[in-house]
Amino acid sequence: MSKKNRVAIVGVGYSDVGRATGLSLTKLTAQAGVAAMEDAGLKPTDIDGLVTHSFPNQFVSSTHTAAMLGIPDLAFYSGNVDGAAYSVAAMHAIAAIESGSAETVLTFRTVHKAGQGGETFRGGGGPQTIPGNMQLAMPYGSIAGPHWAGMYMTRHMAMYGSTEEDFGSFAIAQRKFAVANPTESFFHEELTMDDYLNSRYIAKPLHLLDCDYPVDSSSALIFTTEERARDMKQKPVFFDSWANGTTKEADFSLVEDMTHSSPWMASRRMWSRSDLKPKDVQTAGLYDGFSFIAMQWLEALGFAEEGGSGAFVRSGATSATGSLPTNTDGGACNVGRRHGANFFIEVTRQLRGTAGDRALPNNPKVGVVSNAVGGFAACALLTAD
Amino acid sequence: MTTEVSAPLPLPNELTKPFWEGAAKGQLVIQRCNACGHLQHAPEPVCSACLSFDLGSAAVSGTGTVYTFCIATQAFHPYFEDKLPFVIAVVELDDQPGLKMITNIVDVDPDSVRVGDRVGVTFNLLGEGFMLPVFRPIA
Ligand SMILES: [Zn+2]
Repeated sequence: MSKKNRVAIVGVGYSDVGRATGLSLTKLTAQAGVAAMEDAGLKPTDIDGLVTHSFPNQFVSSTHTAAMLGIPDLAFYSGNVDGAAYSVAAMHAIAAIESGSAETVLTFRTVHKAGQGGETFRGGGGPQTIPGNMQLAMPYGSIAGPHWAGMYMTRHMAMYGSTEEDFGSFAIAQRKFAVANPTESFFHEELTMDDYLNSRYIAKPLHLLDCDYPVDSSSALIFTTEERARDMKQKPVFFDSWANGTTKEADFSLVEDMTHSSPWMASRRMWSRSDLKPKDVQTAGLYDGFSFIAMQWLEALGFAEEGGSGAFVRSGATSATGSLPTNTDGGACNVGRRHGANFFIEVTRQLRGTAGDRALPNNPKVGVVSNAVGGFAACALLTAD
Repeated sequence: MTTEVSAPLPLPNELTKPFWEGAAKGQLVIQRCNACGHLQHAPEPVCSACLSFDLGSAAVSGTGTVYTFCIATQAFHPYFEDKLPFVIAVVELDDQPGLKMITNIVDVDPDSVRVGDRVGVTFNLLGEGFMLPVFRPIA
């Protein structure tokens, strides 16, 4: 395929991250934006595009963010909340740059721990009435992500004979990377299978240790054209191919086939637009809002056989010395819920050689990142020269 | 438990009203397209099969198969705290391939539920006069 309009990641940055930072959404966003500009060696006047995809109740608008950061004029901005978490911001930025709508785009995912998941529904008071289609789920107690995620796991077990030990193998492998990332990980002890199996169930078969770790965080990345990227401070990381995918059902619990949902659509589309093959990929950052999602991606992207993600992980393939080191920062289960932005950042750091002590022995030049599962998904192939 | 906690109650709208009115009468009622006969759940303003806006509803067989399930062991809402553990399931109805709904499997040991189990509809009182279509194993 033509590579003449390649888009590059040229800067990455995080805000302070923690369980209770006391920092506002705007301050988190500002911190991450400044960090990404510093990483890229860019000034606010170098930015002409801004994307701030976030949860509806956690919204800091693009125009507010630009004003706060001293960005004088936006040629492109977007703040939609629909779709596959951070990757929607990335893909709006890429599309804007590919189309010539903007040249250098700053993107965000800001997430506050407060008000997330079930906590939203824990308030006291009288009868609670549920509008919209949620009234066809909530009266059944189907309220939070673990419920649909647990149902995906049960379906996988029924179709392929996979076991809780298979799922645990991923949590254990991912934690090894977290231990090697003491500055960013919240967890510093290796996991045993007993630790995993003895962690309480949230929605059996889904265990506590399958869930990402809610934190206050903002993540920012800067994208620009290949031409501009060549002159910048960091070695650029390029998008070779990227794609979205959806199912014809919007509700995660009602997708036609829980073992072949949107990651298969996005993967097929992504590979069809690239000369690269799964065997060329040297590191992966796979969304783990629930660890099982990352295992679905191993299968969808063609790294593991269908139903074989557990065996693939147990073989050591996703470890630092394996064929596909996966979630080398420790994943969102360990470095906190960043809605997928951490994988774009970590794979970028590995490919451009700024991963420090965590630099992979295979010196990767090709990586893959992914976001979400079920009703919508996205993935991208990243390369460095 | 000193104070009773209310269930999360539906706020019926034009689309969901037939479902809840049917349940109150002991029927499982699903949105049905008057133009092409397609059944869809959740109900929407347009038929996703033929794009007709001429939509009605129909009482369906009330039998189906467990497509998947999980066993809720954390409530996420105070109403469910004294009901743990319970089974949240997706049931595929017999009336149309792929027609699924979120529901509960009741009158059963949660650990004995299996994907593929045959189930039939029954109705549990949700509160404030609302009946909830749920499923239990059938032969
Ligand atoms: Zn129709």
